Amino acid sequence: MRRVATRPTPPSPIGESVPRRDGIAKVTGAGRYTGDLGMPGLAHARILRSPYPHARIRSIDAAAARSHPGVIAVVTSDDLPDVNLVYGHSVADHPLIARDKVRFAGEPVVGIVAEDAVTADEALRLVDVDYEPLPWSTTARDSLADDAPVLHEQPGEQRSHRGFEEDIERTNPNVCSHSRQAWGDIEQAFAHADLVVEGEYHYPRSYAYAMEPYNAIARWAEDGLTVWTSGQHPYMVREDLAHCFGLALASVRVIVPYVGGGYGSKSYTKIEPLTAALALRAGRPVRLTLSIEESILTTRGDAATVRIRSAFDRDGHILGRRATILLDTGAYAENSPLVGRKAANRLGGPYRIPALDVTCSTVYTNTAPASSFRGFGAPQVTLAGESQLDEAADRLGLDPLEIRRRNVLAPGERPWPRARGIDADLRADLDLAAEELGWDTPLPAGRGRAICLSASDAGSEPMTTSLVRVHADGSVTVTCGSTEIGQGSSTVLAQIAAGEMGVDLGRVHLLQSDTAAVSYDRSTGASRTTTLMGLAIQGAAKDARTQLLAWAEESLALDGPTPVEERGGVRIGTAFHDWGAIVRAWFGGHAGECVGRGYIRRHGATREMPPFWEIGCVGVEVSVDESTGEIRVEKLVTVGDVGCAINPQLVEGQDIGAAMMGLGMATREELIYEDGNLVNGNLFDYRVPRTTDLPELRTVVAERGDGVGAYGAKGGGEGSLNPVAAAIANAVWRAADVRLREAPFTPERVWRAIQERDAANSRGAAGVREEPT
Amino acid sequence: MIPRFSLVRAQAFPEAFEAFAASDGDAAWIAGGTELLQVMKMGFAQFGTLVDIKRIPDLSGIEVRPDGRLRIGAGTTHRAIERSPVVRRALPALADLEAGLANVRVRNTGTIGGNLAFAEPHSDPATFLLACGATVELAGPSGRRELAVGEFVQGPLLTAREPDEIVVAIHVPAADPGTGRGYRKAKFFERPAASVGVSLTVRDGAIAEAVVTVGSMTDVPTVVHAAAAALAGAPAEADALAGPVRAAAEAFGSLDIGADHNGSADYKRHLAGGLLERAVRGALSEAIADA
Amino acid sequence: MRDSLELHLTVNGRPASLRIEPRETLAEVLRERLALTGTKVSCDAQVCGACTVLVDGLAVSACTFLAADADGRAVRTVEGLGEDGRLSPLQQAFIDHAAFQCGFCTSGMLMAATALLEEEPQPTRQAVIDGLEGNLCRCTGYAQIIDAVLSVASATAGEPAR
Repeated sequence: MRRVATRPTPPSPIGESVPRRDGIAKVTGAGRYTGDLGMPGLAHARILRSPYPHARIRSIDAAAARSHPGVIAVVTSDDLPDVNLVYGHSVADHPLIARDKVRFAGEPVVGIVAEDAVTADEALRLVDVDYEPLPWSTTARDSLADDAPVLHEQPGEQRSHRGFEEDIERTNPNVCSHSRQAWGDIEQAFAHADLVVEGEYHYPRSYAYAMEPYNAIARWAEDGLTVWTSGQHPYMVREDLAHCFGLALASVRVIVPYVGGGYGSKSYTKIEPLTAALALRAGRPVRLTLSIEESILTTRGDAATVRIRSAFDRDGHILGRRATILLDTGAYAENSPLVGRKAANRLGGPYRIPALDVTCSTVYTNTAPASSFRGFGAPQVTLAGESQLDEAADRLGLDPLEIRRRNVLAPGERPWPRARGIDADLRADLDLAAEELGWDTPLPAGRGRAICLSASDAGSEPMTTSLVRVHADGSVTVTCGSTEIGQGSSTVLAQIAAGEMGVDLGRVHLLQSDTAAVSYDRSTGASRTTTLMGLAIQGAAKDARTQLLAWAEESLALDGPTPVEERGGVRIGTAFHDWGAIVRAWFGGHAGECVGRGYIRRHGATREMPPFWEIGCVGVEVSVDESTGEIRVEKLVTVGDVGCAINPQLVEGQDIGAAMMGLGMATREELIYEDGNLVNGNLFDYRVPRTTDLPELRTVVAERGDGVGAYGAKGGGEGSLNPVAAAIANAVWRAADVRLREAPFTPERVWRAIQERDAANSRGAAGVREEPT
Repeated sequence: MIPRFSLVRAQAFPEAFEAFAASDGDAAWIAGGTELLQVMKMGFAQFGTLVDIKRIPDLSGIEVRPDGRLRIGAGTTHRAIERSPVVRRALPALADLEAGLANVRVRNTGTIGGNLAFAEPHSDPATFLLACGATVELAGPSGRRELAVGEFVQGPLLTAREPDEIVVAIHVPAADPGTGRGYRKAKFFERPAASVGVSLTVRDGAIAEAVVTVGSMTDVPTVVHAAAAALAGAPAEADALAGPVRAAAEAFGSLDIGADHNGSADYKRHLAGGLLERAVRGALSEAIADA
Repeated sequence: MRDSLELHLTVNGRPASLRIEPRETLAEVLRERLALTGTKVSCDAQVCGACTVLVDGLAVSACTFLAADADGRAVRTVEGLGEDGRLSPLQQAFIDHAAFQCGFCTSGMLMAATALLEEEPQPTRQAVIDGLEGNLCRCTGYAQIIDAVLSVASATAGEPAR
């Protein structure tokens, strides 16, 4: 890892690669995930799922299952008259268990609770569901056809977290949401263009493969509902549970232990309402653990088709860009309306574009629901935008690096009116990537290089709180609603608290993700935790210190000199008093506590949206085996432009992990539907990257203190995924002179492109010329 | 989730056959379980009784018999074959193949007999052993029999084994001097997209005999006679192979190849051509060293 | 009556005897009966390696390994890696290199690497890459894992760790 830091030095241990605080728990197996928890009376649930992509449920005969020995409850939608079945934070369209009809193969239809999971499994086989199959559609394009089957006869109610600011009339009942991002005079831009580049790009349905499958435990008691879940967003889950079961927010407690990977796929509500409904009918605490096959059918990433035209002048300046994006969002909205909004926002990239007009529709299909997935619309649109830059550079005789230098936004420049100015130095990032990749060194035959960028309006909404509790011995408890999903929040947030309070890291205890014990945070996603929760903790620490200073004045410096704050306490004259001494003195005994509060909202530094820009800057060198079409990424460069790396080692890990995930998406990962069914919904056939795919790495962490967060920090962890597919496509173009527009770039797709290239070359050699369009 | 079953751990054949007979047809043999337990989990098969046969002595051991045949007990794990000095000496291409099979955990548990008995169309051992002229020894309540791999494997997930028969051993006949074997596969996902097995015998500076098999892309491992015929008579020199190999690959044109997420039929056919060349080169260098 | 059988085995050096159903996997017995939840189950198909444990020193997928087949054998899990409450060098190396994020693959990765190093204490980088090819990690991209394993290998040889 190479660190390039031009920011001021933050107080220790901020900026230091301290060991992960979850380290011992995770290397000894002692760390508890939801699936590791047990409790007296725990019963086990299994789910019967629809075999049809679209069907009316005529009847369900579950009598035999109900009388199977060991079965505690059999639950269909008919058994839940007292529950609000339909939830959804953006569009309320998602029944927690199918009612009247099923909209994708794999949709839950019947839940069975038994003494053990095998018995529940046995009982599933005794249920007889009578379906009336309906016509179905598994692609966005098919769903928009005139005779397409309608998935939702009644549009779902739009809810508070819908994510799209302006509504455009739904011209088609299968359009779930419609977003537009536009500025400037687009007609003029294209009228004055010296070059227009046009293309259609495809990004596949993808699967995050968090290794821990979805699981939850629900327990009812007189005072309400407690749910332990693998979900990323305890507070958002609490909101949906309160809605489904008509409870006050305070009566729902959501606890998230360690989470075995999320990458967005555990955002928002998944199986928690269903688990709670099963527990309600069973009258017992219930565990629902999905298999990976079921998890794939629970949430996936949105597939995208991007039609795009970019106008350039002869010097390579972008004059305008026009695009339509179709997202295949699956059977239910989940978070796709927000993904669509962000895809529209992110299509322009970190470039100066005088005029832009992008529309994005999310479209219902009879497939597993799509939702948040690392990158969140950016990988889908960056493939299109960054490919176009290289295509334009080629036609204008420009170096791909140079065309980026000419267009990239300067620090502070606004990508669009009213947006926060770019809080990064992208030219410097480009130069770092070029240097590490060896941009100007000669390449062997069959190899190619590319560097691509992305910029995401990240951070979601600033709605974050934290409490810093200073105890009588000077140790500190920090409470926060951010989840440790592997990204290292338990380490990084404790570092910020320790640095802010001036106490040893070992004296800071962080309590996370229990809605009954910690205060509100909107979500753990959009790369927001270090930035926004970091600010909340900084604010809470400051509030605590302010109180403690006043307490010192009040109880320790009655007649003496004014207390002066020093690291870890105050100095009064020559005497130093640590925070614990002040607490004890103020309460007048040996105990007590000072509580500092931090609130982050659209106010002050976080008034402008987005809270920060998440930068992606990735370089690759690839080789292409023309005999098989296999691509190998030989070298991978990431530039993590994070403002201030609170823990550089963890930043590096996020960047490598994100880029490798991008490599998987670019080369192999794709969920394939045939005849209405997912045909590769398992780890045999859905291949994620392995050790043998690891390229030679160069990682750079750029710290210029330009983020809105504590010490100039801003979010990372997704950025290095976003440009990877585009970078590989552009590098393959250099290596093999083929333009890949459909990800993943499987060996066969690349091989076919090479065959077409050779056929075109031989036509050219024979004197047949195709007119350029 | 594995459904419930009864388990009989047989120490010898009579006990195994008895348990099987008692199950009224609702039983299966289990050794490593890497294939069987997986299909049971997926709900594709369910059995009242599993009869564990890995303790039956006849199913273990790797040796070269006095008649020159290599005998591998059906209960031998892939890992044991991969590490066996006997296999390394007698049939090095098999040791290499086994080392590249699935992952180390599957190799530590799964057996060669189970692999063949399952007849998964992507089986590496089946395609290679077919090229080697190997046979499968079966034991049933009414006695023993031996079938060539090509007779044994009858279709995808289908063999000539009667339900109450147990795969006891694999026999690979001794090869003539100057024989070399090669096996190559193209794998982009968990299972191979295409694979090619080759056995060549070199005499008097030319390829005198050849067997070519393909797997993974066809329903069953398949002997491609026309490919072998195109190789026969070619000079046993690496530099002179391109033409004969190209001619041999032409023979793949007649194969019935299935399309799936690994690729289309013509892509797999193209891949097989490349694999053939590499397998032939591997086999030839072994053959020349052996001549 | 459901079938059951007596299982006698040692787990992390300690003998254990219990009555199980034949259908129970080693992963289920470890997690649900012996409360050793460090062993995780992910793909449940012998692909991902999250459930890797050692049976008589050999790495197996506990998700698809009948507990009955562990009868009379020695099983090692992540809980048994450390000695006397101290981390094993490999565990410490995973912490030093931040060779995990979510941690769900970590137990299996540690067990696979332990088996690899016991078999070949001085593996090359390529041998580590090949040896861990069957263990998936979705968080780290593997770089720090490979470095951590290699650091233990070179430390054992008295060379400076990377």
